Amino acid sequence: MDPIRRSLLGQLARLSAGAAMVPLTSVARAGINQQPPRREGDPSKRYGMLIDLRQCIGCQACTVSCHIENAAPLGSFRTTVSQYEVAHQESGEVATFMLPRLCNHCENPACVPVCPVEATYQRQDGIVVVDSDRCVGCAYCVNACPYDARFINARTQTADKCTFCAHRLEAGLLPACVESCVGGARIIGDMRDPDSQISRMIEEYRDELMVLQPEKNTLPQVFYLGMDERFVTRPEAKPVALDVLDPHGKEMGYEFGH
Amino acid sequence: MAKSSADPSRRRFLKGAAAAGGAATFAAGYADPLLKMGKGLTGSAGETPDHPIHGNSLAPEYRVDPASGELTLNPDQRLAFTVCYGCTTKCGVRVRVDNDSDRVLRVAGNPYHPLSADEHLPMRTPVAEALRGLSAFGDHGQQNRSTACARGNAMMSQIDSPFRVTHCLKRVGERGSREWQKVPFEQVIEEICEGGDLFGEGHVDGLRAIHDVETPIDPANPEYGPRANQLMVMEATDYGRSAILKRFAFNAFGTRNYGHHGSYCGLAFRMGSGAVMNDMKKFVHVKPDIQNARFIMYIGCAPSQAGNPFKRQGRLIAQARAAGTLEYVVVDPALNASTSHAADHNRWVPIRPGTDSAFAMALIQWLLDHQGYAADFLEMPGQAAADAAGEATHSNATHLVIESEGHPRRGRFLRASDLGRAEPGADDDAPLVIADGELVDAESVMAAELFVDREVELGAAQDGSGERVRIKSSLTLLREAAHEHSLADYAAHCGIPEATIVALAERYARHGRRAVVNCHGGMMSGNGFYAAFAVQMLNLLAGNHNRKGGSAPGGGQFNGVGSGPRYDLANFPGKRGPQGLFLSRSRFPYEKSSEYRRKVAAGEAPYPARAPWRSLAPPALTEHLPSALDGYPYPIKAVIGCMANPIYGQAGLEGLIADKLKDPRRLGLYVAVDGFINETNRYADYIVPDSVMYEVWGFTGAWRGTLGKMTTACWPVVEPRQEKTDEGEPVSMESFFIAVAKRLGLPGFGEGAIPAADGTLHPLNRAEDFFLRAAANVAFQGEPLPAAEQSDIDHAGLAPLIPKLVRTLPPEEHGPVAYLYARGGRFEDFSDHFKGENLTSAWTRTLCVYNERVGTSINTQTGVPNRGVPCHGLPSLADGRAMREVFTEEAWPLLAFSFKSNLMNSYAIGLERLRMIKPYNPVMLHREDAERFGIAHGDVIRIESPGGSVTALALVGEGVAPGALAIEHGYGHRDLGATPHVIDGESQPDLEWLRAGININDLGFEDPTRRVAGTWLEPISGAAVRQGLPVRVTRVEA
Repeated sequence: MDPIRRSLLGQLARLSAGAAMVPLTSVARAGINQQPPRREGDPSKRYGMLIDLRQCIGCQACTVSCHIENAAPLGSFRTTVSQYEVAHQESGEVATFMLPRLCNHCENPACVPVCPVEATYQRQDGIVVVDSDRCVGCAYCVNACPYDARFINARTQTADKCTFCAHRLEAGLLPACVESCVGGARIIGDMRDPDSQISRMIEEYRDELMVLQPEKNTLPQVFYLGMDERFVTRPEAKPVALDVLDPHGKEMGYEFGH
Repeated sequence: MAKSSADPSRRRFLKGAAAAGGAATFAAGYADPLLKMGKGLTGSAGETPDHPIHGNSLAPEYRVDPASGELTLNPDQRLAFTVCYGCTTKCGVRVRVDNDSDRVLRVAGNPYHPLSADEHLPMRTPVAEALRGLSAFGDHGQQNRSTACARGNAMMSQIDSPFRVTHCLKRVGERGSREWQKVPFEQVIEEICEGGDLFGEGHVDGLRAIHDVETPIDPANPEYGPRANQLMVMEATDYGRSAILKRFAFNAFGTRNYGHHGSYCGLAFRMGSGAVMNDMKKFVHVKPDIQNARFIMYIGCAPSQAGNPFKRQGRLIAQARAAGTLEYVVVDPALNASTSHAADHNRWVPIRPGTDSAFAMALIQWLLDHQGYAADFLEMPGQAAADAAGEATHSNATHLVIESEGHPRRGRFLRASDLGRAEPGADDDAPLVIADGELVDAESVMAAELFVDREVELGAAQDGSGERVRIKSSLTLLREAAHEHSLADYAAHCGIPEATIVALAERYARHGRRAVVNCHGGMMSGNGFYAAFAVQMLNLLAGNHNRKGGSAPGGGQFNGVGSGPRYDLANFPGKRGPQGLFLSRSRFPYEKSSEYRRKVAAGEAPYPARAPWRSLAPPALTEHLPSALDGYPYPIKAVIGCMANPIYGQAGLEGLIADKLKDPRRLGLYVAVDGFINETNRYADYIVPDSVMYEVWGFTGAWRGTLGKMTTACWPVVEPRQEKTDEGEPVSMESFFIAVAKRLGLPGFGEGAIPAADGTLHPLNRAEDFFLRAAANVAFQGEPLPAAEQSDIDHAGLAPLIPKLVRTLPPEEHGPVAYLYARGGRFEDFSDHFKGENLTSAWTRTLCVYNERVGTSINTQTGVPNRGVPCHGLPSLADGRAMREVFTEEAWPLLAFSFKSNLMNSYAIGLERLRMIKPYNPVMLHREDAERFGIAHGDVIRIESPGGSVTALALVGEGVAPGALAIEHGYGHRDLGATPHVIDGESQPDLEWLRAGININDLGFEDPTRRVAGTWLEPISGAAVRQGLPVRVTRVEA
């Protein structure tokens, strides 16, 4: 099995009974494990995201609108959608599987405790952020995140990641990715508000929701709907290739991200 | 995997595998910073962002109080509604602009717009309320979104692209040498109007000399029309501005020759649709009602991968997947984004390219043999029966076709006049049908026999003295055509197992009138017309037209450029009508040509014609240029091209015409109006810059797929970046045509060019003179729109528009026109567009099982009449031979086909935010084929066709049909930035990334069976063949 299939397999698992749900109702303000205390943000809220994969059409509108909204350097992404070709184990039938990815704003984020200067921290509303005034660009957090959600911004030389567009949430607006989601797959909201759309959907689909790599005990707060159990057992995912050739067949390498 | 992990290309290959995020980002993020650590612990060594937490994220465009919902605009920004030019869907968008810099910050959807919004808002909604509805307030914004797609988001960088043409350019050196000098706009107008020795290559006729609407081009062939036809005007497509281009070409200059990209886009599909819809003029097509359908077969089209309307179909299919209301299959040579593993009830069925007619005829055979069709509907012979049954229309399934070979009325419907019951062509000369065994008027009965095959006697007497002819009902002809091959043969040909075909047919039949088929660009094969005709016939057999959960052409648009309630923009004093024969020899029966008559008079066989004449087809750009450069039917002297790029878009065209296009003796003058230099207009003599994206005026509609009536209003929400004319107007397509027309003294432009409803005449000196008056026409149609409130004007960023509106229109029009622009157009309210089970805006023509016009036309290369019902056929060359006879499977074992990218389009390669997601288009090859040719996943391969050779990277897997090679369209550019041009001695940037990937059209080829040079074109339509090009592949040794 090639490494891509393995890594994908490793990333997916069914949400174990209620494990990730516990924090929704009892957030430990003093922090879990080695988590430093949360600061800033609205303590009455807990933001999370639900992604209905059945409605993701893989159009990458989220990827591009986020990139523009948050002025990410070319080739660096706060969110993106991976597209896989998957084969049915018995029938051999193939279909497309889309996996939107972003920071999971975990309840127990692996990235926060490793920061030597406490530049990366979790707000009381659950959003994990980086204070670029403090960040030294050591990339420990980049390395610690099991979801590859962080990168070092080539311009600021600091850790960069999804903030759920906190600047927009604070203005009463939606994050760029949610606002531009063509299929209507991405739902954001305050999970402490029982009437919010996300709370209602979590309630409705509780048994079907999954998170990425639950075994890491990070308690991700991005929940996937339509992440079929069968996929875990037969991820015949084919990697895509992104080598670039010129018209003469000369290999050109990858334009961005070097 | 064949390659070792140490291989550098292999490394990148794996890195890219996480598709743009993930591993690649991680590697890039981790390696560098280790070096930075030495720089101290007090902060970073990089640029300081605007905000410690929010970085350089944009300032919000407005704020909405979470408790009260009160909205406060950001005074530094404005939001305005206009159209997106990212593809031909032409979605309405909201553009966020920085007031200070006039820079576009980001783009999303217009909430009033049916192509962008889930449920578009009623027009009466105040703009402030619409904006609030997009916010997080009450979760409204994510319960009813209005979006822009990835490309729609990325397109804004066209505006400030380093490759944008901002000044008038004149070529230096020979045509196509990629060297230019800047010249003033006024000089361009003078030179192209007056001609002269413009390039030191001898005399060039200017437009004044060519503008001769009296003298025939060729007295021996008077049907060619006047010399004015020697100007050819072409454009990409109607982005809402075509009205002014056509006004110039057809009605002011008086040339017949106009062409757009349709013939290398989806013409074969559209003509096949038109044949069923009984519309052989505009070739209307239908789209499924996704929200109410229960079973849809997408054949050669892919909702959410691409297609038109892209977002709307993608959104509806996504919602239907989640709701579980719909089952659908995608029958396509390649797996794409339209089938989703995350939901049930959808699947991909691989099919061999160019074999759709076999698949569709197999389904038709099964449906006809198993009563799997809407018999009650098809039995209705006329509108009287349809009305009685509450149906919008009826079909000609029961009508009777005269079949006797050689009879002058062979191929025509048997009509009352054939039996002496009416005057030929009179109102009561109705088609006859068989009911209760009798020949009766189709309007006189409620039901008629579906299957008829008998002889009848013509004439009034009916005493045995009349001529006897064989007649068959339309449905009988269809059944005969469907039975020309067995299901097993059809299955073997298209590569879909017979059992799968039968299962799909059963399911299709089971869902009755809520079963639908949809097809589009996949039909651009060498048998595309009959394939599309056959596929669309499935809709008719289901009786799903105009039905809830069926198929429909859509709601149409508010036409602003016709004879409107305020202004007549279709007519003007001195208006001309074009005359004569299109260069593409379309819409004109060869049998009426001088050439035909001369041959017959000389006792020669009239067939084949020197080159195809296509009486059913519209004017086709695929034939225009090659034919004109070869001088058949006649040579041309000048071309004006607006955003047109046929050389990139038409398979095999570059190899065929590039050298001829360079030759000033074959074409004297080529003027391009465009914001960019592409693969075609790089051969121009002059390039006139144009507005792009959000800088344009215009009115667009929906290319089907919406059920309500709608028109999108476009206006320059940012100031055009290119140079201005001496009058201070942006140089653009509009100012170009206005200036040329005024210099030549043509009617319809300048003073007194636009008649108002009150009889006064108004000038056309600026683009807005035309488009603001069109806006008034739209705003005052039917019930006039109310006046805009000041709050609407503020919230819709209309401040830059108001002064133009005030100086152009009378006061009583200001309010309603501002109301229109404040909502980005005019849209019928979102509602249930059905009355009971029927669509309110229905298609009412008689639907065709048998198309009389098709059945009485003749293929001018073979002399054989065309079939009037769908049938299975092989992709064929111009002389009628099957492509595979000439280019055998032994020599060319694979069939290449293209599919639309969900990111890139034919002119988006310059957008770095799309390149960073997908920089290149590896080709898809089936595992079995890869094994056959010794190719491994990730190998570099050479793809050769009879017309060209390209080098690509192979993706090997199961996601493509065996025997097929899939190529995503939009890459493999040689211009649009891929090769630098030199302007006034200064070179454009040289970015090799823009050259990445391959273009299927480089694998197109010249049809070797033609006498007048041409690429491989579909016989009936003249559409460029790009689905099913014969190729072979070899591994390139490293």
